[in-house]
Amino acid sequence: MLEYRHVSVSCQRTPVLEDISVSFPAGKITVIVGPNGCGKTTLLQCLNGVSQVTGGSIFLKGQDYLKLSPRERARTLSFLPQVRTIIPALPVKTLVEHGRFPYLGFARKKSPKDMAIVRHAMEFAQVSEYAHQYVDTLSGGVRQRVFFAMALAQDCNLMVLDEPTTYLDLPGQKEFLHMLEILREEGKTIILTLHDLNHAVRIADQLVVMGACTPTPQGRKIAAWGAPGDCLKRHILEEVFHTKYKKFEDQEGAYYFFI
Amino acid sequence: MPFMKKNNFLTILLLFLLLIACSCAGIAFGSVSLSPGNVVKVLFSTDSSSTASTLVRTVRSPRVLGGLFAGMGLACAGVILQGVMNNSLASPNTIGINSGSGFGVMLALLLFPQKTGLLPVFAFCGALTAALLVFLLAYLGDSSRTTIVLAGITISSFFNAGINTVKILDTEITVNLTSFMAGSLSGLTMKKLLLPCGCVLLAFCLSLFFARSLNILGLGDDIARSLGMRVFLTRFTLLALASILAGCVVSYAGLLSFVGLVVPHICRHLFGNDARLLLPCSALLGGSFVLMCDLAGRVLFAPFELPAGILMAFIGGPFFLYLLLKKKGGRRVHA
Repeated sequence: MLEYRHVSVSCQRTPVLEDISVSFPAGKITVIVGPNGCGKTTLLQCLNGVSQVTGGSIFLKGQDYLKLSPRERARTLSFLPQVRTIIPALPVKTLVEHGRFPYLGFARKKSPKDMAIVRHAMEFAQVSEYAHQYVDTLSGGVRQRVFFAMALAQDCNLMVLDEPTTYLDLPGQKEFLHMLEILREEGKTIILTLHDLNHAVRIADQLVVMGACTPTPQGRKIAAWGAPGDCLKRHILEEVFHTKYKKFEDQEGAYYFFI
Repeated sequence: MPFMKKNNFLTILLLFLLLIACSCAGIAFGSVSLSPGNVVKVLFSTDSSSTASTLVRTVRSPRVLGGLFAGMGLACAGVILQGVMNNSLASPNTIGINSGSGFGVMLALLLFPQKTGLLPVFAFCGALTAALLVFLLAYLGDSSRTTIVLAGITISSFFNAGINTVKILDTEITVNLTSFMAGSLSGLTMKKLLLPCGCVLLAFCLSLFFARSLNILGLGDDIARSLGMRVFLTRFTLLALASILAGCVVSYAGLLSFVGLVVPHICRHLFGNDARLLLPCSALLGGSFVLMCDLAGRVLFAPFELPAGILMAFIGGPFFLYLLLKKKGGRRVHA
């Protein structure tokens, strides 16, 4: 559905990514893994206009994605950035309502439909009870769910989440990943980066492994992409992360432990 | 939750009444006080020869009108700049926009001493130059909050030096430099005010349309972009609006310094960070604040007159410190 074709990205004339081709199937969860600094965030930020694509193109259902206007883009794809440099001193509800920004006209008036979507997003992300609290007074975990609710309120079929579980504790992470599985059942396409390989292998329909963390003259490349089982069989993760794994099986399926 | 939506209307109404009260006081009181009945009589009579009539019509009305728009323009410019720069220390004064437009004014007086209509235009150009310079410097540097403020201070003193140079080199310029640098509302006429006040009103109305964009910008560039905003274009438009607001005010009132920083903060403390409420409230409160300070400057030391800008620092400063100290966490700007 979403397809990168020979995409290159440069930051201040240094190539960060070069000639990347990868595709993200519709209605599936794709997890991008890779060591720190291998360009995961840069790869994703091509989609919200923060990374400047210097070569190649991105196609969405056969359409040139990079030619879409920012507003159209924000109506097809919701993007949750990783870094929170600013914790807004706003009520939760107001922040989630900002997710409707791409749909509002010049007068920026919200319709009942907008409000219904906001309410649903807040219920789904389980932040309704905090509606009138200020975002900067909440714990990191709840805060992350609030931002997630804002991305949900954008009501897009395609969701891109950059390290969404970073601020969450273990139960929080599991719950969050479960939410993503529900969204997949609703037919959404989800692309996210994760650092926890166990989680990545469990939840991914497709795994994209980015490798070679030292910047080579040709930029950084994707080591492999495909079903998690495939990647494991080909020992890609072991190579890129300099790690080994053990496999355990029980009635519910297979678990992998990375050492 | 400081004020819920139901109360927004009431809040604005109260602030509006405050502004009306300040305007009336500004017309009635001064070195010669007039009773309310007297003022009404003068306003509705056709006889324009009495002293009271001259006082109200040609001296105090323009003064009140000028003060009202000065407060409105500078306070709104402050709200906009704080949002655009994502910096709670930003204001037309700290960022150097006031000095920039002041330099524009001096340049206009130097080059075209006869054409007073050009003052706001020059002031706007100076303001925009300063705004863009600061923004460029912050963009080239690490664009952190400190860089922006340091760049602003540098630009500000640069343009201040320019103002002083022009004044010293051209002794013909008929500006009282002391009151121009402090900001003063004396000697205004309706004719002088027409263009700048019109522009301030227009820019204020336009800025209301950008209130939500301002809120989104406050979430940081990454999120603003992800929500489909053209971040660079929006920033530029808002900077231009702030330059119009501040430039027009400086063109007739001089470098009024405190209102653009303090009034937005007072409003943030009282009404939260939503620009849709913050802009109109700051406009109303800013107008009242300038009028009060101007009135105090006229009355307290009569028959001497202190420029409004000086009183503003005397009254606004301690009040602002009080607000800063009693704050109970949570209600800070993105800092």
